[in-house]
Amino acid sequence: MPRDAAALLALLDLERIDDNLFRGAMEPSSLPRVFGGQVAAQALVAGTRTVDPAYAVHSLHSYFLQPGDPAARIVYDVETLRDGRSFSTRRVLARQHGRPIFALTANFQVAEDGWDHHDVMPTVPSPEDSLDPRRVLAELYPDRDTSGDSEWDVADLRYVGSSGDGLLAPGPEHPALQRCWLRVSSALPDDPFLHVAAFTYLSDMTLMGAALAPHGARPEDGTHLIASLDHAIWFHRPFRADEWWLYDQTSPWAGGGRGLVTAGVFTADGTLVATVAQEALMRKFDPSRRPSRGDAS
Amino acid sequence: MSDVAELVELLDLEQIEPDLFRGSQPDSARARVYGGQVAAQAVVAGIRTVDPAYAVHSLHSYFLRPGDYAVPIVYDVERIRDGRSFQSRRVVARQHGRPIYYQTLDFQLPEEGYEHQDAMPRVGPPEDGLDLVDLMRARGNADADALGKEWSALDVRYLGNSRHGLPEHPRHRAQAQMWIRIREELPADPVVHLAAFTYASDVSLLGASLAAHDADPTKTQMASLDHTIWFHRPFRVDEWWLYDQFSPSASGARGLSLGRVFLADGTLVASLAQEGLIRPRS
Repeated sequence: MPRDAAALLALLDLERIDDNLFRGAMEPSSLPRVFGGQVAAQALVAGTRTVDPAYAVHSLHSYFLQPGDPAARIVYDVETLRDGRSFSTRRVLARQHGRPIFALTANFQVAEDGWDHHDVMPTVPSPEDSLDPRRVLAELYPDRDTSGDSEWDVADLRYVGSSGDGLLAPGPEHPALQRCWLRVSSALPDDPFLHVAAFTYLSDMTLMGAALAPHGARPEDGTHLIASLDHAIWFHRPFRADEWWLYDQTSPWAGGGRGLVTAGVFTADGTLVATVAQEALMRKFDPSRRPSRGDAS
Repeated sequence: MSDVAELVELLDLEQIEPDLFRGSQPDSARARVYGGQVAAQAVVAGIRTVDPAYAVHSLHSYFLRPGDYAVPIVYDVERIRDGRSFQSRRVVARQHGRPIYYQTLDFQLPEEGYEHQDAMPRVGPPEDGLDLVDLMRARGNADADALGKEWSALDVRYLGNSRHGLPEHPRHRAQAQMWIRIREELPADPVVHLAAFTYASDVSLLGASLAAHDADPTKTQMASLDHTIWFHRPFRVDEWWLYDQFSPSASGARGLSLGRVFLADGTLVASLAQEGLIRPRS
């Protein structure tokens, strides 16, 4: 896993094999499978490389198909679905060992003006007044294996709370909430797309905490198999991924072994800059079987 | 034939080859194929290629080009995962040799797990709502008569939006709510209900993103860009369901709307997302 912005940038800088065909680097990791945010971000970079820079990405939709193998590099195969006057669309298939592991479609638009509105940011403590997540986890799970924590050092995270731990009151409508502040832990260059890609990488973190919140469980408690099924992002406005943004997560529903989470992303000044949606598998491990560690997303 | 029987026929595809299907077209006065029809026919094509033990739980799709009512739409299904618990399909809708729409669907073997859901908002009964097409006509929408004919299988009762009829929400600037059902009883087959729901789900969702703005519909170009559905539970689409919508953001001539679908007893049965072009016409 990349430990800082420089390592993240290296991971997001793909090798070009041919027109519309790229290969990503792989960082050593203790995770049993490739972090979903990495595959999503690398796939987005691959798609963007094939699009006229006058078009900026405004949405992506993706499905995780197979666990990624951390021992092999991932190949990204880009197909052009549309090159229109206002919109361009790309589909990217991530492949390993001759089979697709991830499929992403992204849409790009030439900048234009229109109506403007956005949701109001919830009232939350500042990042400085929020909690160190590793300290929270150490108190909750004193025996937790922390040897892999530093792999996530590229993400600076401050925990606000969830509806499951009493730090957030469940809303009258929403039983499942979680909020945290996130940023890339060191400065990124100014190129706006690098911020989009870095945000995409981080956006696969923490989401399922919202879906587990009403059930007295956390992704980090080691008793669940959690696997992202799909991942969608709508990019509303440009923002810096290396400055604090609030990840305001709601899980409207869980059932059938799945949980859905939608999330608003607010910069500290209260502007909504992106919306994220993810459905994930969340299976409680059979207590008679030993869980594997490292399902961090 | 009744309007509902026509809808059922629209959702029944002709199989040309394994994994290749063709849909019929309705008699429409509109220039571009209604997006909900393409989405629904694509869902049916995907479902036809999957073991019925697996149930579709989500779809993500992009609209690429306007559909043409003059020729049928061909649906080409690609199998991108045949797993033990999950199966995935990608459906390309084609006309005139070009893709007009891409949909990816995911199917799951039913299993048990944690359950929770959002609470249903307090709303009035369907009888309190106004007929959506009447409302569009009253607002000067030139497409209203043609849409009314095309959507004649749907009963849509509009309860209000952020500027008319709904109370101000502390966080959401743009909201809309309506009750919808198919007007007559559908066959019992759950696939028909799921497809008819997909058909109906493209009605009005984008409109929520304009609910915060004094936008003249005759001076606004609107087109769905993407369409996403998470199917939580099977339900009867010919009984009333509440379509609760809000738009978290509009910018760059685009608006994003999120939708939740509740049955009258408060059960959340589906969640949706759609981004659309909302372009002021000069």
